[in-house]
Amino acid sequence: MTVYNIYIFDKAGTLLYYEEWNRLKQSGMTRGRGGKTNSFVSKISPTDTKEGFLCYKTSKYTLHFLETPSGLKFVINTDVHSQGVRELLQQIYNQVYVEYVVKNPLCNLSQPIQSELFKSNLDSYIKQSPIFLSKAL
Amino acid sequence: MADESLFDFLHSEIVNYNLECNEIKNKDTKDEDLSTLEYIGFSTGYRIIERLTKEMPRFKDELDTMKFICTDFWSAVYKKQIDNLRTNHQGVYVLQDNGFRFLTKLSSGRQYLEAAPRYVAFTCGVIRGSLANLNINCLVTAEVQNMPSCKFHIQVQRN
Amino acid sequence: MSRSTTRFDTKKVNSELVTLTYGALVAQIIKDLENTDDVSKQLERLGYNMGIRLIEDFLAKTGTGRCLDLKDTADKIQTAFRMYLGVQPNVANWSAAGDEFSFVLDSNPLTDLVELPEDLKGLKYCNIICGVIRGALEMVQLDVQSWIVQDQLKRGSKH
Repeated sequence: MTVYNIYIFDKAGTLLYYEEWNRLKQSGMTRGRGGKTNSFVSKISPTDTKEGFLCYKTSKYTLHFLETPSGLKFVINTDVHSQGVRELLQQIYNQVYVEYVVKNPLCNLSQPIQSELFKSNLDSYIKQSPIFLSKAL
Repeated sequence: MADESLFDFLHSEIVNYNLECNEIKNKDTKDEDLSTLEYIGFSTGYRIIERLTKEMPRFKDELDTMKFICTDFWSAVYKKQIDNLRTNHQGVYVLQDNGFRFLTKLSSGRQYLEAAPRYVAFTCGVIRGSLANLNINCLVTAEVQNMPSCKFHIQVQRN
Repeated sequence: MSRSTTRFDTKKVNSELVTLTYGALVAQIIKDLENTDDVSKQLERLGYNMGIRLIEDFLAKTGTGRCLDLKDTADKIQTAFRMYLGVQPNVANWSAAGDEFSFVLDSNPLTDLVELPEDLKGLKYCNIICGVIRGALEMVQLDVQSWIVQDQLKRGSKH
């Protein structure tokens, strides 16, 4: 299992942060097999629709989406086997975003996140999560 | 009050307020005027120490007072003790906090270092105000080289 | 990190710290701005800036979802008062249309230790709370107006 990347958007849809850990070779691979770029799109359907949370599964990866009541959007792409990603996103909001962006008065909430402290905390949070660790299996 | 983050948010707004005032008052000077922040800290320190110490026995001497500031007082206000207290025994004290409350969310290193003085000025005032109430007049300055660590230099003024 | 043991009741200290720091800030703003109405406005603005951050802290700590209706909103604000100010306001005076209501605070930690002199009678000392509510609710897509109906410093209570 593995985590590919994360996106954070504010309520206006501005991209506040993007980070990737393992590059997703999705589109390149599909195209190489004969231009079936759209084949996975048709398979998309929400598989988890708890409040504020959506999860879309394709044949190659799963997109998990969490929206807070304040309109912040967290999107994380993992491989199709990853479990417990909703909890991971919630924790990233609670313990990384709120602690190192909201509580850092030098971070403007509607501008891209520049804080290195946030970046390093997010990175270790992701790397410590079972979803990331089990990649080696 | 139950939640400590309120004080952090309030402190941040006081810093912002001071910054805005600076931009209006002294557009031309590059140096930031932190005296207002320091003074708000002074008033706060002067009054909070009064409330904390009113039922305590008098301190033995200056060093005893400083030890109190580093331990009980710092823990109550900044959630941890001072990590290191040094003195030359001639009225200079250096208090080192390796994880200073108002810096821990900003950076672990040198990013935003230029903004650090704003986030320690209030506390310089708190120390000066507290000590003034305990009959120790002093100058307090702060030094930040690597966040979230901070050193407060206290120089006692003897007349 | 060193221990954070202290002989003080840290909750009480935290509460007094907010009260005293806020008092020192208000005193400074009164010094900076001559007009009492401007001071009240400035306090509301500072509150707004706090509110837009405080709401995220609140959502994270309580894991609360979207508000279903204004009654639900009132309940959640009540929780927030308890969390951050340690007081439980009563919700009262619902308008017939259900779009307006009041929080009544029997005690307000912000005004502990405060007495307003005669020449500042027009000051909305606690206007920061109105700002916090406005800022916090704006972030959850609720545009509201929040104001003080009655003030204990001039007798009575609020919003």
